[in-house]
Amino acid sequence: MSIQTAEYIDVQQRAVELGCNVPTKLAFLPINFEEAKINDDLVFEDSVLTLRKLWRKAGIAETRIEKEGKQISYEQKKSLDVILPTVFISFSLLSQNPTLVTLALSIISNYVTDFFKGMIGERKIMIDIVVEQDEEKKSKRIRYEGNAEGLTTLAQVIKELKDL
Amino acid sequence: MNERVKQFYIEFSEITNDLQKFCFITRSQEFQLEACNTAQELQEKAGKLKQQMISEDDEDAANAMLSIEEMITALLSELRMWIALKGEDADAAWSQLVSAQYAARTAMQAHMVASHLDGYTNHLHDLERVLFPPLAFFSPSYIIEHSTCSICGQEYGECDHIVGKAYMGQICTRVIEKVKEITEVSLVDEAANKRARITKITDDNGIWRDIMTWQVVPNDAANA
Repeated sequence: MSIQTAEYIDVQQRAVELGCNVPTKLAFLPINFEEAKINDDLVFEDSVLTLRKLWRKAGIAETRIEKEGKQISYEQKKSLDVILPTVFISFSLLSQNPTLVTLALSIISNYVTDFFKGMIGERKIMIDIVVEQDEEKKSKRIRYEGNAEGLTTLAQVIKELKDL
Repeated sequence: MNERVKQFYIEFSEITNDLQKFCFITRSQEFQLEACNTAQELQEKAGKLKQQMISEDDEDAANAMLSIEEMITALLSELRMWIALKGEDADAAWSQLVSAQYAARTAMQAHMVASHLDGYTNHLHDLERVLFPPLAFFSPSYIIEHSTCSICGQEYGECDHIVGKAYMGQICTRVIEKVKEITEVSLVDEAANKRARITKITDDNGIWRDIMTWQVVPNDAANA
């Protein structure tokens, strides 16, 4: 299992630059959010579609960064590993409702467990989580590579980042 | 669980436990072919009961029957793999093994009735490693513009169905309608699609060989 943290761009400013909705709580960010030149270039990880449904079913609200009615593309990798989308967590959500963050992560963890059902051997998952650390919109990215069970430990890492 | 499904499950368990004794390379092909016929009859019966459960709107029972159907498919595919191996048809044997693995996985996804299949999936994995040489697979990545749900036909992102879950005796899959771009094709040791594999390679002397049998095969590129 590996967890690495790094500085990340100002998500809200970048969303404005790309003509996207500005995420206020939870959001999925496109794969190429940092380097896309224009809005039409944005591509999401394929699992976003399913994870959105699961969050919606659990009553978890997210900001869809794509504008209403905008056609979005998804990248599918036919691999046995699971590459999950980048999840953005706003400072206000972390401060006001950390339980919701834990719930959102556990839904992702359950999704991965279901995905691996009937498969043999240890399968790797990869996920980036972008955490807004303060009201000045400074963000850090947590990159996780490991098994599905380890995903739940991320809640504590996220909390520690916020408390820095 | 629905009473008729419970009764069928007992019949299924008795028959499949018996048929498993033919899942060895030493067993006579005559018996293995008979076992395939028996499994096929059982599969047809399972399909009919599943349809009844669907018509009665009993989703749990329909999903349980789907799971049972898939377990029968897995066994049938394994039997066919042994037959193909004895007939020296390695490609067909591989294809049947992959079918067995996929069917076992679908059975586990469809209903709890197959939750005990971990041992069987391990067995199939062991067969893969022992019976076949190491293989390499193609793993493509592509950008999808439009996909629909196999259950309701709506745009996949718009409905509530989840890929890999069973709904009234049917597994939800995502139907890719429009691919914008193929971004890469990688060579991998373990792939999601085990049928997308390399079939021939060149040996140290530059001779083309079938990767399964090591027989010399024509170089299609040179003949083209």
